[in-house]
Order: sequence, then structure tokens, then C-alpha cells
Amino acid sequence: MAELISGRQLRRVATIGAVAAVVVLYLCMVGLVEAFKDRNVVTGVITLGAVMLLAVPLIAGYRAALPARDPSGPTPGPAQRIVFGLLVGLIAGAVLGVFVLIASAVDVRGVLVRISPPLLAFISFGLPSGLAQLAITGVGGLVGALGALLLVSPARIRNAVTSGLVAVLFMSMIEPLLRPRLEQLDYTAISDFLYKAHGLTEMASILCFVVGAGAALLWQPGNELVRRSIEAAPVQTRRRIRGWTIAVLVVAVLILPQVSGTFLAQVAVLVGLYLLLALGLNIVVGYAGLLDLGYVAFFAVGAYLTALLTSPDSSLGIGLPFFVALPIVMLGAGMTGLLIGAPVLRLRGDYLAIVTLGFGEIARVLFESDALRPWLGGVQGILGIPSPFPVRIDLQLGTTHIFATGPQVLYYPIFAFCALAAVFAYRLSNSRIGRAWNAMREDESVAEATGVSTVNYKLLAFALGATTGCLSGALFAVQLGSVFPGSFDVFVSITVLAVIILGGMGSIPGVILGAIVLIGLPELLREFVEYRILVYGAVLVAMMLLRPEGLIPNRGRQRELHEAESEEEEETLDGDLMPQRGQT
Amino acid sequence: MSLLSTPPGTAPMTDVILSVHHLTKRFEGLVANREIDFEIPRQAIVSMIGPNGAGKTTFFNQLTGIIEPTSGTMEFDGTSLIGMAPHEVAELGIARTYQNIRLFANMTVLANVMVGRHVRMKAQWYEAVIGLPHVAREEAEVEQRSFELLDLVGLPRRYADDLAKNLPYGHQRRLELARALASDPKLLLLDEPTAGMNPGETRQMTDLIARLRRELDLTILLIEHDMKVVMGVSERITVLDYGERIAEGTPEEIRTNPRVIEAYLGKQATA
Repeated sequence: MAELISGRQLRRVATIGAVAAVVVLYLCMVGLVEAFKDRNVVTGVITLGAVMLLAVPLIAGYRAALPARDPSGPTPGPAQRIVFGLLVGLIAGAVLGVFVLIASAVDVRGVLVRISPPLLAFISFGLPSGLAQLAITGVGGLVGALGALLLVSPARIRNAVTSGLVAVLFMSMIEPLLRPRLEQLDYTAISDFLYKAHGLTEMASILCFVVGAGAALLWQPGNELVRRSIEAAPVQTRRRIRGWTIAVLVVAVLILPQVSGTFLAQVAVLVGLYLLLALGLNIVVGYAGLLDLGYVAFFAVGAYLTALLTSPDSSLGIGLPFFVALPIVMLGAGMTGLLIGAPVLRLRGDYLAIVTLGFGEIARVLFESDALRPWLGGVQGILGIPSPFPVRIDLQLGTTHIFATGPQVLYYPIFAFCALAAVFAYRLSNSRIGRAWNAMREDESVAEATGVSTVNYKLLAFALGATTGCLSGALFAVQLGSVFPGSFDVFVSITVLAVIILGGMGSIPGVILGAIVLIGLPELLREFVEYRILVYGAVLVAMMLLRPEGLIPNRGRQRELHEAESEEEEETLDGDLMPQRGQT
Repeated sequence: MSLLSTPPGTAPMTDVILSVHHLTKRFEGLVANREIDFEIPRQAIVSMIGPNGAGKTTFFNQLTGIIEPTSGTMEFDGTSLIGMAPHEVAELGIARTYQNIRLFANMTVLANVMVGRHVRMKAQWYEAVIGLPHVAREEAEVEQRSFELLDLVGLPRRYADDLAKNLPYGHQRRLELARALASDPKLLLLDEPTAGMNPGETRQMTDLIARLRRELDLTILLIEHDMKVVMGVSERITVLDYGERIAEGTPEEIRTNPRVIEAYLGKQATA
């Protein structure tokens, strides 16, 4: 009889198990589990903290069951793979169990402040020591085996189960949004059926799972069919499909604040502001390939210029109307772009990144400084920026009643500007200008020799990027009604860059999706706010490893990054160097 | 060094598109080009040859504005090239290819050619942003013209949407040529256009070069190592060695010139 598990396989299982154990411990120690241990996913059944902990052995079990990268040696059968998953889960569970044992015996809170007794009780299912360790290890092994089982099972089942689980998780996560809205609109019956104590009810969760799994089962063959027929379709049909997609998107954007309620509209406003920033930075980084890490400077300049010009309380005190000030702001923004662009024209790549990073910080320090306090207000910033829009919109159009208050009032102007910026960027990218930028990104000196004035095109990219960023800053200022230097730290630059990277450099649909995912989602998961940067970091690392071209890549870039590099050897052919003497 | 007068002995030719006098380039002690005199008659194919390190590429780089000459004059079609930026040189009508192919690797084949047309296009950024009809018209025209150029250099149109870096080697050379031609140059500089090619491809390229001159009324300056190519296609040949011009003449004259043979074979020839 063949041995159950070879030495190499054992090493692999041990490695994955160890990684899983470390991740589990990490989640506990940074406090993520504690933060979510009281957030119900399915009320009375499972909490988000538990989901988080269990996801680790599940994924680890799945990975352990994957065929090894090195195909030498016998391929393990399904049963063997499930054993791998089980072992991985057992390792993770056992380590966590030991940790709980130590933590309850010795007080570790001096170092690990997040390891609280309630957390330990939560992890050990409220069981006494000894029994708890058994239970933790057992559950770990079970979940690991389930993960492996998922891999071993046919693809359709796997996808159905996964989407069912995702559906349950999603429905429970949007509870803070959906429930108040349902109650406000008098759908209390639905709301009571779905939710109980901020989690899904058992019945609702089963329903969600069935719907999610069913949709996956039905969608899969359809999906393939749709994709293939779109690919086969002539250009005109494809163009029409794109037109319809955009139309649907626009309608969705128009309707959203009417049905969403104030909170979601507020989130959407934030997404819109970042989207505008990202569209601007996309010109600089995505098209022209100039890595600008100080983009926040433009955002700040836009906000401060707006504040100075429109607020009666500012040092200028002229209190211009917003739409009179806006052209001046954008002009000033363009100038700032040129001002920052000019000294860095000769710098490439990393050097440019470092210098712009410095510029971004200089901008913040200047706005904060006491020296400029009489004009810019120092740390206190500038207050009293009037909103250019009415506090409340009430419109009766035929039978539709459009209403907007608070953040919703700014929602439409922001998205109008976003749409404008997206259209402009799209047109530029498909013109002589966009090509010149791309050429510059690819090879600056060849672009120059081909006739692209790299100086002019760099400045143009900086100026246009700056103008878009300033526009976002201006809207930010009027939305808040005040500006503070604290709003303009380096993290804004990083976030905007992350949006572009996540979505796909140089891809406008990608940037839109990136803004929604990276700015919108964390707002919906309010408990996450504290861990936002941590999650950003994890997401970026994962993206770079798994899908470096972004979620919706620009076509060229996707090919660039997912290809077995097959570069031709550059061979120098030794021609006949010597004049042929025979002929002389 | 006085450069006020053109050197005696170089009788003005009927129609010279490029004339270079006393061109010198020093790199911290090393003299890469010393007092080079060089002329190209309009619509001629002229070659510049010489052993590695003779200063051919330095000469090219000065012509195209990438590096500035230490002293000397360069005049192209009545305009001095001294102090011009590369993109201004390109706009004047000088296009080039590179010894080690330098395409815009992650752009499509078509886009590569269209970038080449950049200097002849007029759309300004604000016009593109507004989406004026003449921008779209120009774009369509250039696309059409680019396809024709692909045909001309013998690059099948089905490659148009592929990334430049995915093309086979020979096609990459052709694409580089199409990109250079897209700007409607008067003078085309080819830096070893057949490097790395097998004899069959080399012959095709040679034929293509001859055809381009005929069909597009081009003037071509060639840097080449392959003597078959040089002898077969050029009307006049200039030989550089250690940064100096050691010979100039018809292929027949160069073939028999003892200094040229010595430069190429060095000590072995004298041994």
C-alpha cells in the first residue's frame, strides 16, 4: 500500500498550516476578531468575527488541496486531498488552542492589549480549558476539510456554494443601510423577515444562500454564452452594448440618492470626490506614466483657493459666488500643476515619485504653518464656506418627485463633474495627445525623437491632472463648509493611487470600480474604519500578486503583465565585414 | 577652431539635403567624432560604415539632436540643426530607426505607427477634449494612412491590434520603419536595419529600402555592418574610423581603398 502522505506533501501541508495559524493569531492580536465578534451575520448562529476566523482554515484547506506546483511524484486522490485540508485545519486550530491556553493562564494583555477575556471566551466557545482546545482544533480540522472538499467537488457546485455564502455575507453586511431604508419606506414586514438584531434571520439566510447558489448555477452556462457572443459580435453591436451599459450606469447614478437615503448618498459623495481625484491622477500616472505621489497637493490647493475666494471669513473676505470662483480656482490649479511640473521635468520613475512625495508634504506643511496663518488660517483652517447649492431641492417633474437635502444636494454636481472628467479623459486617451503620453510612458527618448515634445506633454499631463484634482478639492471644500490642513495628508495621495492600481491603470471603467470598492465599501463596513489602512495594504499586496493589471484592466496592460515573456534573443549577425577581396 | 567658412575643396553639389562640416564631439577626453565633413545629395542612399566604436552612432545622435556637438555645423535643407531638440529635428523631416529596435512595446502596432505621425497632426488637446469633428476626421485619416504604411513595409494588417512587443523580430524592424515613415520624412536615418536578420530577410529589407527611396522620394542615410547590404544599395559610402572620416566615395572606390581595408582588418592585414 502506498504511503498516505509523502514527505514532500507533509512539508507542504505543514507550511500552509503554519501560515494559516499565523494569520489566525494575527487576526486575534490586532483586534479584528474582537471588533467583529458581536456583529451578527446570522443572528444566533454566527458572527462576523467567527466568519473571519473560520475563513482562514477554509481557504488554507482549499489551498492545501490544490495540486502542488511541482507535479513530480504521485498526484494525490480526492480522499488524500481532503486529508490535507483536514491536517492544515487541525494545525491552525491546535495552534490557536494552545494560544488560548497560554493566554488564559498568563496575563498577556500587557503586550497584546486586544487579547481580552471576552475574546478568549468567544474563541473557546465558552468551554472550559482542555475541552476548548479540543473543540477549537476539531472545528479547525473540520473547516479545513470542508475547504478541501470544496476544491475536490465539481466546479459548478463549488461556484454555487461560494456565491451562496457570499450572498449571505453580503445581505447581512448591508443591513445598516437596507434596514432603516426599508422601515422608512414602510416595508417593515420585509425588514423583520430579513433581519433580527443586526443580523440575518435563519430563514432569510437560507433564502439568501439558495438565491445566491441558484443564480450561480443558472448564470454560469449563460455567462459563457453571453461572453462568447459579445466577442463574436461586430464592432457596431459591441459599441451599442457599451452605449447601453453607460446609459444604465447613468440612470443608476441619477436614481441612487432618491432611493438610498442620506447615509448612502453621503458615501456616494465621498466616492465621487475620490473618483474625480482618481480620474485626474490617472492622466498623470496611467496615461503619461509619471508617478506622482504628491497628488494631494492639488486637492489641497483647490480646496484652499475655493475657501479663500468664496468664504467671507477668509483673509481675502471677498466671498465670491462658487461658480464665479470656480474658473479662477481651476486656472490657479493649472498654474500649480505647471509650477510643480516644471522642476521635475527631467526626473524619471522613482526620482519623480520621491520629489513629488516631498511636494505633497510641503503643501500640507505650508497650509499648516504659523507663518502663513494670517492668510490660510494655520491649523484652524478657513471656515464659513457657503454652499453654492440650495439646502434643499424639491422638484416636481411630471409624476416624479425629486427631492434632495444635505449631502444629496452635492451629489449631482459632483457626479456631473465626474462624468465630464471621464468623457474628457476618454477623448484625450484616444487622440494624438493620449498616444503621445503613452509613447512617453513607454520610452521617453524615443518618443522625443519621434516628434513628441516631452516637455510640453509632461506639463500638459501635470496641468490637466492638477485641474481635475483641484476641482475635487473645490467641491470638497463647499461640501464640508470649511477646510483644515489635516484633511490633506499623504494618505490621500496613497489612497487615490491605490484606487487607480486596484481598478487598472489607464482604464476609466477600472478607476470607477476602484473608487467604489476602495472608498465605498469601507464606509459600509463601519467597524472596518479603524482597520482601513491595514485592509488597504492587504488588498494592494494581494492585487499585485494575483492581478497586477487591476480589476478592469486597460487592454494593453493586461497583455503586458500576463504573458509568458518570450523575448527574442538579440543576436548580432556577423555580416561580411570584409570587402570581398576576390573581386578586387 | 574657426568655422566661419566652408572648407575649400568641397564643391557645392547641385542639391544637397544635409551638409555637415567640421563636426566634432568630445566626451571627457575621448573624441568620438573629429572634424567630420559629410554631405548627402537629395534622394540619394548614402551609407556610413566603420568598425565598432568608430563614432557612427554618435554621429546619428548629433544629427537627431539627442546629443549636442562640441563644435561644427550641421545644416538640413537650409536650416541649422545645432541646438535643436530631438522633436524639432523630427518635425523638420528627419526620422530614424534604432540599432536595437526601440518600439513602444506596450502599445499596439497601429498606435506605434500613429505616434510616428504625431508631428504632422494638428489636433490640440482642447480640441480633442471638446471632440471637434476635424479631430475625428484627422484621426481617421491617419489611421487609414497608417494601414497603408503597414502595407508598404510589408507588415500584414492583421497584426494591427497586437502589442508591438509580441511581433516577430523581422516584423518589429518593419514596424519601426513604418513608424519612421509616418512622419513623411525627407531624410531617413537607418541604424543597422538588417542587424539580426538572416540572409533572406536581409535581402527583403534591402529591396524595401531601395523601393522606399523610389516610391517616397526619400533620402536615406544608412549605418550598416553588412557589406553586401552597403555595397548593394548605396550610391556613396563614408567610412569612419576612430571618430575620423578616413574615406568617402562610391562603393567601388571604397572596396579598393587600402585605408578602409586596413581599418577593418587592422594588424592582420598588415601582418
